[in-house]
Amino acid sequence: MTYQTDTIAAIATPAGRGGVGVIRISGPKSLDIACAILNNKSLKPRYAHFSNFYSSSNNEIEALDSGLALFFPGPNSFTGEDVLELQGHGGPVVLQLLLREICRLGARPAKPGEFSERAFLNDKIDLAQAEAIADLIDSASEQAAKNAVRSLEGEFSRQVNALVEALIHLRMYVEAAIDFPEEEVDFLSDETVQRGLENLDRDLNNLLANAKQGALLREGMTVAIAGKPNAGKSSLLNALAGRESAIVTDIAGTTRDVLRETILIDGMPLHVIDTAGLRDSSDLVEQEGIRRAWQVIDDADRILLVIDSTDPSSADDLLKQFEPHRDKLTAIYNKADLSGLAIGESSDHHALNLSAKAQQGIDKLREHLKDCMGYHGGSDSQFTARQRHIDALLEAKTHFEQGREQLVVYRAGELLAEELRLSQNALSTITGEFTPDDLLGKIFSSFCIGK
Amino acid sequence: MDYPEQFDVIVIGGGHAGTEACLAAARMGAKTLLLTHNIETLGQMSCNPAIGGIGKSHLVKEIDALGGAMALATDRGGIQFRVLNARKGPAVRATRAQADRVLYKAAIREMLENQQNLSIFQQAVDDLIVEGERVCGAITNTGIRFRAKTVVLTTGTFLGGKIHIGLDNHSGGRAGDPPAIALASRLRELPLRVDRLKTGTPPRIDAKSVNFEGLQEQWGDQPEPVMSYIGSLDMHPQQTCCWITHTNERTHEIIQGGLDRSPMYTGVIEGVGPRYCPSIEDKVHRFADKNSHQVFIEPEGLNTHELYPNGISTSLPFDVQMNLVRSIKGFEQAHITRPGYAIEYDYFDPRDLKTSLETKVIENLFFAGQINGTTGYEEAGAQGLLAGLNAALKAADKEAWCPKRDEAYIGVLVDDLITMGTLEPYRMFTSRAEYRLLLREDNADARLTEKGRELGLVDDVRWAAFCDKRETVERERQRMASTWIQPNTPEAAQLNEKIPTPISREHNLLDLLKRPELNYFDVAGLKGEASTNLQVAEQIEIGVKYAGYIDRQTEEIERLRRFEHTALPLDFDYQTVEGLSNEIKQKLGNARPETLAQASRIPGVTPAAVSLLLIYLKKRGLLDRSSKTA
Repeated sequence: MTYQTDTIAAIATPAGRGGVGVIRISGPKSLDIACAILNNKSLKPRYAHFSNFYSSSNNEIEALDSGLALFFPGPNSFTGEDVLELQGHGGPVVLQLLLREICRLGARPAKPGEFSERAFLNDKIDLAQAEAIADLIDSASEQAAKNAVRSLEGEFSRQVNALVEALIHLRMYVEAAIDFPEEEVDFLSDETVQRGLENLDRDLNNLLANAKQGALLREGMTVAIAGKPNAGKSSLLNALAGRESAIVTDIAGTTRDVLRETILIDGMPLHVIDTAGLRDSSDLVEQEGIRRAWQVIDDADRILLVIDSTDPSSADDLLKQFEPHRDKLTAIYNKADLSGLAIGESSDHHALNLSAKAQQGIDKLREHLKDCMGYHGGSDSQFTARQRHIDALLEAKTHFEQGREQLVVYRAGELLAEELRLSQNALSTITGEFTPDDLLGKIFSSFCIGK
Repeated sequence: MDYPEQFDVIVIGGGHAGTEACLAAARMGAKTLLLTHNIETLGQMSCNPAIGGIGKSHLVKEIDALGGAMALATDRGGIQFRVLNARKGPAVRATRAQADRVLYKAAIREMLENQQNLSIFQQAVDDLIVEGERVCGAITNTGIRFRAKTVVLTTGTFLGGKIHIGLDNHSGGRAGDPPAIALASRLRELPLRVDRLKTGTPPRIDAKSVNFEGLQEQWGDQPEPVMSYIGSLDMHPQQTCCWITHTNERTHEIIQGGLDRSPMYTGVIEGVGPRYCPSIEDKVHRFADKNSHQVFIEPEGLNTHELYPNGISTSLPFDVQMNLVRSIKGFEQAHITRPGYAIEYDYFDPRDLKTSLETKVIENLFFAGQINGTTGYEEAGAQGLLAGLNAALKAADKEAWCPKRDEAYIGVLVDDLITMGTLEPYRMFTSRAEYRLLLREDNADARLTEKGRELGLVDDVRWAAFCDKRETVERERQRMASTWIQPNTPEAAQLNEKIPTPISREHNLLDLLKRPELNYFDVAGLKGEASTNLQVAEQIEIGVKYAGYIDRQTEEIERLRRFEHTALPLDFDYQTVEGLSNEIKQKLGNARPETLAQASRIPGVTPAAVSLLLIYLKKRGLLDRSSKTA
């Protein structure tokens, strides 16, 4: 018998590299999951089987990918538990969908270092390697924490916190009504809770609509190229796209409208939008182009602000104008071949020297864009951090909706309370622990309770 | 002198913790001595004359399921019974009873006097006999030395007790009783963390001086609920009512005017009071926008005129108390029979206890009740029972037992206390229990009585009643699972009247019960004979309606079970675990958890920290195989 009773899963290959993506699953449900994913194809232990990988959500069976499936029954496996390995063709989108399906079937995403931890606990790794595992858990969880913090920057964080506050507020009413029925605080039977439920529903849906990182993978990130006229924006678009799609001349203001190009970086779609040069203009057509440019800049997931490095001071006022967008801004010091800046070097994470025309430093830019998509660094990138946050929000939403049904249909206040508790548990993976005593504290400071 | 006989268990203190402790130990066959400073006050309700309520009745029923006294004494002393949250679902339903102090006390006294293996001795205890790091007995204030294998301390508010009325204060254990000063200073010499808490009571009022006209009456429920699983209606004495009145703006002005002589607001009281049971001056001060607070008037008994005005607990000076009471509707001419007061007392940091309630540093010494920082008769009784049974187990060299968080509110109570400690008097609330849907008032017997029987706590009468109920429920469940209703039959027609759309395929009776519109009596009698036993009907209905939730919680419990069985040595040096942050090392060092599960529940201890501990244990060979397969 092994130490753990739950089943974990993770993508085992570095994101976006190579032609094969591997998902590894370990725990007692591995075989059940194999059955579902392979649509009941039986697996001979330790043999590779070619099969489609199916998703069966919404009562529809759909093949997500195809590849090899291997099953290693415990204890003769890497972790000592039943292990299933799925090797697919593995674009990041497909791998994520497959992982999500596996989690729907009863696995949970593995914590950093957890496969190794299990291997060690089940005597599959010797003592000498134990130190390394402790280090791995330590550093990986630290990295995960950092990524979580980065995922929680800006507007997303504000909205999540507001949501949690609203949920706590609602729970306060529900729990007070349950624990203090003699205190004239019976909110379950008046409109307070009903209204709270409606507000929470709205906030949660808004938040999920805005938290588009999940969609980012499937639909691609939008990158706006902005800058002064003739800084080299269109050249940059062409350099990224690898062909002439924007009209490039030496005449300032050539791009009067926005130009779009979809490029692929390691299989990830990226929508690059070239915008009109930003300057004061009396030309009505150009003014309209600039207005649209700002629109695109506001909506973009990432902005590449192109600066002519032969005249760096020209962009000072522009940098100031972009201050509100700092979180998603990368300054591109273009024409580095002319100004003599070291190609590819950058003073910080948010700046890069290159030459669009000479095609120098473009690879660095691609890497940088992958970074921005949270697409780098193996299994625990900022992308996965955001993905976890969104999964937590989705789980919170499920419980929240079930809770509302319990109250509205069954008049079961105690089951609403239970669902709201689970909902908050899900969110606590984003915002930290919230103990029953914290909740009681809220109740006692809001209602005058006590006979 | 040395008392000639030696005991297995000595219990010091005869309140709700002490009486349950000595009864439990004696029931299990341990030779038990109850030492009390006053036999007349055994089972005394020092605060309000009521037992039960939300979260608390759950504890009472658990004590009862383990053979304890509190529920039966309530049935014999209860003068009003109500079910709270009756419309909010079975998991949060709670029985509350007003009790006649005299009848309640008499019931407890009778049980104590008739308990085999139990001796009672009246004399204050001044000292413990401690040899090395082990307690061996107690010494009374006249120097009689009683020796025992284990000692249970249930000293309530008596340790270093200090009573405040206005800016005057004096030493006291309870109004009219002396404090335990010598014992308190002796205990402070032990290597246990100690601090001060505060609680309070309202002034008592003579009913003859109260004008009840226009006050809202509150009667009990009909049919009358019963508290004990083996209780019955014919145990209940005559029933009576309570009344409700309110404070008003005038009352609040009087209170504001007296705050400069309040021991709370002038800093005389250092102890921390409970947030959920604030004094009236606290309520008026903190919720200044509320111009009225409810006062619940409870009768102290059938044969007394004294009333307990619940909601105006105060330590303001007596002249302010008089004025504030007389500003309240109905109390215009009220005569106060006893002034309200606040009391400060010593409590010991419960993080120094094991789950058995034995202290971690002094072997064989057990603590229960307010000494551990709790408040309430029910919380005290629950701990008393647990400490008593564990003292008896220890005296017999047997392994300790404590229910888990998913088994009983007693488990939640103890785990909360020893894991997180407490900064205010700890009271039970259902929101403290993550397995609230499993830990219900109606199933405390199903959760605990079998274990109680195994421990020797449950007598033959209770055991027979329990087995009978269990079998009846199971039989009825099976009958309903195998009784089918076909569409287009007379039974279906009868059924269709109660549901929105007629049934279109056959269903068994249990399936039908899943529908929100239907209760047990709607379906059980459609075919065959429904049970007339309400408890049976209740068990079946709840089992069906909560099924999905119960499954989910059971799965979660199973998942966490391994950590519950992974022991952490008490002398574990957390400093040597690499990778743990200093903050987490410190938190673990302060709490010294007994199991990995308990460690994981300490606020701030992360899942990664638990992994690191697990790996460390494994590395040092401290992860034994029994914990893996348990």
